[in-house]
Amino acid sequence: MLNFIQVLFDAAALGSLYALVALAIGLVFGIMRLINFAQGDYLTIGAYALVVPTASVTPPLLFGALPWPLMVAGVLATCIIVALLTERIAFRPLRNANPATLLISSFAVSYFIQHALMLVHTGRPKSIAMGSSLAQAIDIFGVRIPGVQLVTMTVTVSLLIGFVILLKKTAIGIQMRAAAENFQMARLLGVRANKVIAFGFALSGFLAGIVSLLLVAQTGTLDIKMGIMPVIFAFFATVIGGMGSLAGAALGGFLVGVTSVLLQAYLPPDLRAFRDAGVFALVILVLLVRPKGLIPSSASRERV
Amino acid sequence: MLAQDGGLHARDVHVAFGGLKALKGVDLKLRQGEVLGLIGPNGAGKTTMVNVLTGFQAATTGDVTLDGRSLKGLGPRNVARAGVARSFQAARLFRDLTVRQNLEVAAIGSGRKRKEARAKADALLDWIGCADKAAMLAGSLPYGDERRVGIARALALSPKFVLLDEPASGMNDQECDELMLLIAGIPDKFACGVLLIEHNMQVVMGACRRVHVLDNGKSLAEGTPAEMRANDEVRRAYLGSKNTGSQVI
Amino acid sequence: MVLRLLKQAWPVLGLLLPLAVIVLLADQFGSISVERSVTEALIKIVTVVGLYIFIGNSGVVSFGHVSFMAIAAYATAWQTCCSALKPITMSGLPDFLRSHTYPVLPAGISAAILASIAAFVFGLILMRLSGIAASISTLAALFILNVVYSNWDKVTMGTASIVGLPTYVTPWLAFAVAGLAMVIAYLFQISSWGLALRATREDEVAARASGISVYWMRLAAFTLSGLVMGMAGVLHAHFLGTISVDTFFLSLTFITLTMLVVGGMRSLSGAVLGVVVISFVTDILRRMESGVSVSGQEIAIPAGSQEVVLAVVMLLVLIFRRDGLTKGREFAWPFARRQSISETKHGDA
Ligand SMILES: Nc1ncnc2c1ncn2[C@@H]1O[C@H](COP(=O)(O)OP(=O)(O)OP(=O)(O)O)[C@@H](O)[C@H]1O
Ligand SMILES: [Mg+2]
Repeated sequence: MLNFIQVLFDAAALGSLYALVALAIGLVFGIMRLINFAQGDYLTIGAYALVVPTASVTPPLLFGALPWPLMVAGVLATCIIVALLTERIAFRPLRNANPATLLISSFAVSYFIQHALMLVHTGRPKSIAMGSSLAQAIDIFGVRIPGVQLVTMTVTVSLLIGFVILLKKTAIGIQMRAAAENFQMARLLGVRANKVIAFGFALSGFLAGIVSLLLVAQTGTLDIKMGIMPVIFAFFATVIGGMGSLAGAALGGFLVGVTSVLLQAYLPPDLRAFRDAGVFALVILVLLVRPKGLIPSSASRERV
Repeated sequence: MLAQDGGLHARDVHVAFGGLKALKGVDLKLRQGEVLGLIGPNGAGKTTMVNVLTGFQAATTGDVTLDGRSLKGLGPRNVARAGVARSFQAARLFRDLTVRQNLEVAAIGSGRKRKEARAKADALLDWIGCADKAAMLAGSLPYGDERRVGIARALALSPKFVLLDEPASGMNDQECDELMLLIAGIPDKFACGVLLIEHNMQVVMGACRRVHVLDNGKSLAEGTPAEMRANDEVRRAYLGSKNTGSQVI
Repeated sequence: MVLRLLKQAWPVLGLLLPLAVIVLLADQFGSISVERSVTEALIKIVTVVGLYIFIGNSGVVSFGHVSFMAIAAYATAWQTCCSALKPITMSGLPDFLRSHTYPVLPAGISAAILASIAAFVFGLILMRLSGIAASISTLAALFILNVVYSNWDKVTMGTASIVGLPTYVTPWLAFAVAGLAMVIAYLFQISSWGLALRATREDEVAARASGISVYWMRLAAFTLSGLVMGMAGVLHAHFLGTISVDTFFLSLTFITLTMLVVGGMRSLSGAVLGVVVISFVTDILRRMESGVSVSGQEIAIPAGSQEVVLAVVMLLVLIFRRDGLTKGREFAWPFARRQSISETKHGDA
C-alpha cells in the first residue's frame, strides 16, 4: 500500500513535468499550427546555461553559481530569448506554410540547436552539483518523497493555475485563446499576430526554463539529448490530448507521465525495458479510437 | 430495388452542429433526368444538405436513399461510387495535377481502367471546352475554367446524380449563360439527374424546371421557378436576409 | 516509337545517366575514399527514394521510415553473418536462423520483403490517421521499434553492434539498386494508384468525393516504400559490414528528410538531386573537419560543424525555396521544341 502511494507520487511528479512541456507545445501549436520539436532543446539550452562552456565533464558553474533567485532568472531569460530568436529567425518566415513544412522546420531547428550546443559543450554528458538540499527525501506518514518531487508538483500546480488565470483574465491571454480557436478571425478582430505569437513563444521558453531547472535538480546531469524524451512524450501528449486544446495538452501530458511510471512499476521485470514502447503503442491506440484527441478543439474540424 | 422509389431521396433530414440546427426536417427528392434547383439565402443549409446527400455529413435523424437503397453510413467515397457525385462551393481542384489528371482521378475512382479513364477525361474536357488546357496545372486555371473543371470532375465518375454547389459563383454574365446551357444539357447527355444550388436566378431559371427553396434549415416551398418568384414567403425569406438584392429573385 | 518510350522513361533515364558517369569516374579514377563516398550516396538515394514514394506522393511526412531499414538490416544480418558467434550472441533466434547461414541474395531479398510486410502491418494502423496525427504516429512507430530492437538482447544484441556481415556492396551494385528503386518509384507515381494518391495529397476531401480510398492508396504507398527502405537497409548493412540499432534513428531520419526537402519532395528528381547535393556538401564538410591543407597550413573546422551547416541549409531551403531545388517538377525532356513544364510533369504523356 505504502509502495503504491509512493508510485502514485512518482507518477504525479513525472506527469506534471510532462504536462508543462505539453502545455508549451500546445500553446505554440494553437497559435500557429506548429508542433515545435525545438521545445526540448530550449530546455537543454537552459540547463547548459548553468555551466561554463568547456570540454570538462564536471564543468565550473555559470548561472549555477549565482544565488538561486538570480540563477532561476538567468535560466528563464536564456530560454525565453532562445525561444524568441527561433521564432523570429526560423518560424516567422514560414508562418503561412502548411503544418508538415512547419514540423520539418522545427525538426531542423532542433537539430541545429543540439549540434551547436555540442560544438561548445562537447557531446559528453556532464554532472553538476546542485540543489542537493532538494534531493533529500521528506517523510510523510511513512512515505518517503524526494523534495524535488514535492517542488515539482507544487511548481506545476501553481503554474497551471497561473496559466488558467492568465488565459482567462488578462487581455493578452484572451487574445491568445481567440487566436488558438480561429487565427484568421482573431486577426480580423484586431489581434496583432506578431505580438500574440511572440508572447506564445516567450511563454513556451519560460516553461522550458522551469522544466530544465526541475530536471537538473532531479538528475544532476546535463546531456545534449536531455530534451528529446520529454519533448517526444509531450508531443504524444498534445496529440492524444487534442491538438490545439490547452486543457487537453496538460491532461495528455499528465496521463502519459502517469502511464509511464505505472508501467515501470507494474510490468513484469523482463518487459520493463520495453516500457516506452508500451507508452508509444498506447498513443497510437488512443489516436485510433479518438483521432482528434481526448478533448478536441473546435478549430480542428475541417468544413467541407 | 423498389421501382416506385427511384431517384435520390432524402426524408426528414435533421442536422445539428452542437446547438445550431442547420437542417430541421428537410424532404428532397431528385429524379432521374431532371435538373432540380436548390435555392435559399446564405446559411439556409444548402451545402449542409449536399453534404448529407454525399455522405460527408451524417444526418442526426432522417435517411437518404438512392433508388430505394439506403446510403446510411456509407461515407463519401462509397456514396460517390454508388453514383452520387458532387462539386464543391470552393472548387477544390487537385491544384498540382494537370486538368486532365483531375478528371482521370475521378474516373479511376469510379472503377475505370486507366485507358478508359483517360478517354473519359478527354471527352469531358471537350464538352466543357477546355481540351486545350488539358495539360495545364489545375492550380493555374482562371476562375471560370476552374468551376467548369470541377463540374466535369464530378461527371467523370459517371454518376446517376450530380450535385453542383454554386457552380456559377464569381462568373460573369456571358460565362453564366454558357454554364447554364451546359448544366441544362447534363441529363440528356449523361443520363444523370442534377441538383443545382445557385444564387444566380438567371441560371436557375434557365436550367431548372423545378426549384426547391430552403430557408433556415427548413423546406419553404417547391415548384416552378416562376411560382417561386410569385411566392410571398420565398420573397420574404430573401428580403429578410442580407443577400444582395438585384441578382437574386 | 523508340523515341516515345525514351521520352516516357526520361525522368528516370535523365537521372540515371549522370549518376552512371559519376560512378564510372569514381570507379576508374577515384581514390578508395571517393569510391566509398559515392557508394554511400547511392545507398542514400535508395533510402530517400523510398521516403519519396510515400511522403512525396501522399504529402504525409513520415518520421518512421528508417525503422524499416533497420528491420531489413537486422533480417539480413541474422541470415548471413557470423555463423560461429550467432548461437551465443543471438541465442534467441529461431533455429533456422541460429544454426544456418544463407546466401546473400535470397537473404537480401527476403529481408527487403520482411521490411515491406512490417510497413504493411504498421500501415494498417497508422494510415487510419491523417495529417499531423499521422506524422506523430510514425514518430511513435520509430520509437517503438527503437525501444524493441535496443532491448531485445537475445535476438538483436541490444544496442551493441552486430559485426561481421559480408561486405559485397560495390559502387556498381549500389548503382543498380538505386536504379531499381527509381524505376519502382516512377512506375508507381505514373500508375493509377500513384495518381490517386497524389490527388489525396492535393485535397483529401475532393479525393474522397472522387471515389478514391485515401486509406488504401496510402497503405499501398507505405508498403511499397517499406520495400525500398528495406532494400536500402540491406545495402547499408552489407556496405558497412556492421549494424547497430541507433544508426537507424533520429539522425538518419533527419538527414534523409533534409535531402528530400532540399531536392523537392514532390518529384523523383527532387529526391535524387537532394541526395546528390547534400551528400556533396557533407562530404566536403567532413573532409574539412578532418583537416585540409590550405597553402601549406593545416586547417580544420570543428567536428560537428557538418550537422550545424546541414540544419542551416535545410532551414534556408524551407524559407526561401519551399518546394525544393526542383520545385516538385521532373526533369523535362531536353530535346523537345519548347514544351510547357506541366506537360512532362509526372510523365503525363
Ligand atoms: N461543420 C459545421 N460546423 C458548424 N456549423 C456549421 C458547419 N457547417 C455549416 N454550419 C452552419 O450551418 C448553417 C448552414 O450552413 P450551409 O453552409 O449549409 O449554408 P448554405 O445554404 O450553403 O449557405 P451559403 O449560401 O452561404 O453557401 C450555417 O449557419 C453554418 O454556419
Ligand atoms: Mg453553401
